[in-house]
Amino acid sequence: MDEVRKLEAKGLARAKSRSRRRRVATIRSRTIRGSLALFAILWGVVFVQLASGNDPALSSKHRAERRTAAAPSAPTPAEPAREPAPEAEAQLEGSEFEVEEEPAPEFEQLEPEAEFEEVAPEFEETAPEIEEPIVTSSS
Amino acid sequence: MTAAGPHLFWITSRAAGIAAMMLASGSLGVGVMIRGRGESRRLLGSDVRALHEALSLATLVAIAIHGLALLGDAYLHPSPLDIAIPFTGGYRPVWTGLGILGGWGLAALGLTYYARSRIGAARWRYLHRFIPVFWALGIVHTLGAGTDAEQPWMLIAIGLPVVPALFLLLGRLFGSPEPERQAERRRPRQAPQPQLSGRRG
Repeated sequence: MDEVRKLEAKGLARAKSRSRRRRVATIRSRTIRGSLALFAILWGVVFVQLASGNDPALSSKHRAERRTAAAPSAPTPAEPAREPAPEAEAQLEGSEFEVEEEPAPEFEQLEPEAEFEEVAPEFEETAPEIEEPIVTSSS
Repeated sequence: MTAAGPHLFWITSRAAGIAAMMLASGSLGVGVMIRGRGESRRLLGSDVRALHEALSLATLVAIAIHGLALLGDAYLHPSPLDIAIPFTGGYRPVWTGLGILGGWGLAALGLTYYARSRIGAARWRYLHRFIPVFWALGIVHTLGAGTDAEQPWMLIAIGLPVVPALFLLLGRLFGSPEPERQAERRRPRQAPQPQLSGRRG
């Protein structure tokens, strides 16, 4: 009877340890899956925020900070590959270019054609006044 | 609309940083409950330790991704030293430096769990108590250097795990010790009995 009890106890202990190991494995896999899901959700949120143009980092204040942070270590000849791509620069500062394009119509207003038309007749009117005394002197 | 293509590394770093903060808070909360009052421990069961370990390792992986992904950012392009050595980077050096300190601290103290037999359980336990300090540095770093720190969704996402963990920690620090421990302290210490080993001659 004692041996039967011992065998039962051993079997019970084995089953317990097996179920514990299984539970630990389940906890680990669930934690890994949960962490990956959390990361994916956060990545999606940040991506959508940036793609929709509402990213706080691409506002003027943050952009200036990022620019100053990037400046000190940027133009070293030994690290040409780490220079920011021109496309990235242009996309980061896309809103600035749009603002700069606006004052273009001002150039058209600076050159009115009417001023030249008004000046030209003044020379034609003064010319005959000079010619007249020449004619009188020769006679 | 802004093209997200050039910012993929940066997005990855930001997402990993937020995930690391959330996972660290979860791990801390669970860790506090492991050594907490008897009731909370019993409610959660003996598998809490496994959950704590898994969350801690996930946190360390997320911190590593957070730092390493920045190396690929075409705009900030920090050097490996900038992301590894505190207070040397160009972007908000103080806040970033605190985050780097926190990351190294969490990694060093967290991984000592696997060296318990070498350093001794008592010493490991003593060192493990300093983990909340480095977790707090992570919070300061998140709020100070985090790009999304002022965004409501970010504050909610960080606050949800941080606030309960903070309450649990404060309860642990300033609460009364559990009854079992009180009883242990009252009990007079007995001299250790010599273990009988080997065969009798």
